[in-house]
Amino acid sequence: MSESTFPPDPEAPRPSTPPAGGMDPEPPRPPAYTPGSAQPRLNRPVHERYPQIRPTSGYGDPRIRHTGPGPGAGTEQEPERSSKLSARLALALTVVIGQLWGLTIVVDEWMAGDTGTAWWGTGFLVLSFLVVLGLWAIDPKDR
Amino acid sequence: MSVTDPQPPAPDAPGDAAQEALRDRIAADSLTTRRDYLRIVATVSGGLAVGGVAVASGILHRHGDSEGAPEVKKIADRIERGESLAFRYPGEEDRAIAVRMEDGTLAGYSAVCTHLACAVLWRNDRGSEGELYCPCHEGIFDARTGEVTAGPPPRGLPKVILVEQVDGSVWAIGTARSGESALEGFCRQNGDDRPGCPGFGAGGPGLKATERSERT
Ligand code: FES
Repeated sequence: MSESTFPPDPEAPRPSTPPAGGMDPEPPRPPAYTPGSAQPRLNRPVHERYPQIRPTSGYGDPRIRHTGPGPGAGTEQEPERSSKLSARLALALTVVIGQLWGLTIVVDEWMAGDTGTAWWGTGFLVLSFLVVLGLWAIDPKDR
Repeated sequence: MSVTDPQPPAPDAPGDAAQEALRDRIAADSLTTRRDYLRIVATVSGGLAVGGVAVASGILHRHGDSEGAPEVKKIADRIERGESLAFRYPGEEDRAIAVRMEDGTLAGYSAVCTHLACAVLWRNDRGSEGELYCPCHEGIFDARTGEVTAGPPPRGLPKVILVEQVDGSVWAIGTARSGESALEGFCRQNGDDRPGCPGFGAGGPGLKATERSERT
């Protein structure tokens, strides 16, 4: 995916102000994403890296006032891409719920003898499926 | 000393395979679930669409669905007031119930509940004038119209059209679906050129054709 880089941090030293040695004004593009880190020690599973983070992270312990980071803390590497995937999944689930409702209508109309309406309902189901298929096909390889 | 301190990297001899396995595990740990989930959701959605096509093209059995007009069948010599009678009409698997109410009204319905297909019973002691009662989830149908008066069933009961001869014998002559009146059902099955049907006398084939296509 071709994302533009983050907006520059105002506190950070400006790379555009030419320092000694004339840097390229274009910030380098981020390297392609590969799972895990270049440092092997960071590739250990989270519960090995942070044994303090337990499944409940202290939520069940009455002595703990301020719980630390939750079980998934520190694992997200590309929040933008990841949240898009979550959004696609949420939309797809919503459409499927609509389909479940639509199927009850189709069965009802068919059993009541209204075949024409049942076929319209089937059209709705098929269109919904195409929408879900589209949501999936946006990027089938996304994680 | 902190647990996040770098640890000495694993010795190189089994390193590569172990490294690969580790990557696999990380990738499987949290990164693939949503993609797989999206694929599953798409599959379920496709299944629902296929199910809709199957339903609309007639995979479900409707009471009285059979080729041609149903034959006339005698179901009883006599039905007394407040009594009911279970019979099968028109097919052997089409369970039906005939009810004579206290005021003499005779009514016939499919005995298969429209909710989850339990057997519907005639309960003379319920309601003001008795009602058709499904014990499975307390579904209640009006004995006069077959409509749902309480409970989960989504549709009224399909009707079985009954006629009574002067000698008191009861005959079944046709069926009507949940959404139809008895007359509509009768005309659908026997053709529109019967007395009382919209096509009677006119004999217009055009009218017949439109009526037919509206109701399967
Ligand atoms: S099956 Fe009759 S009410 Fe559920």
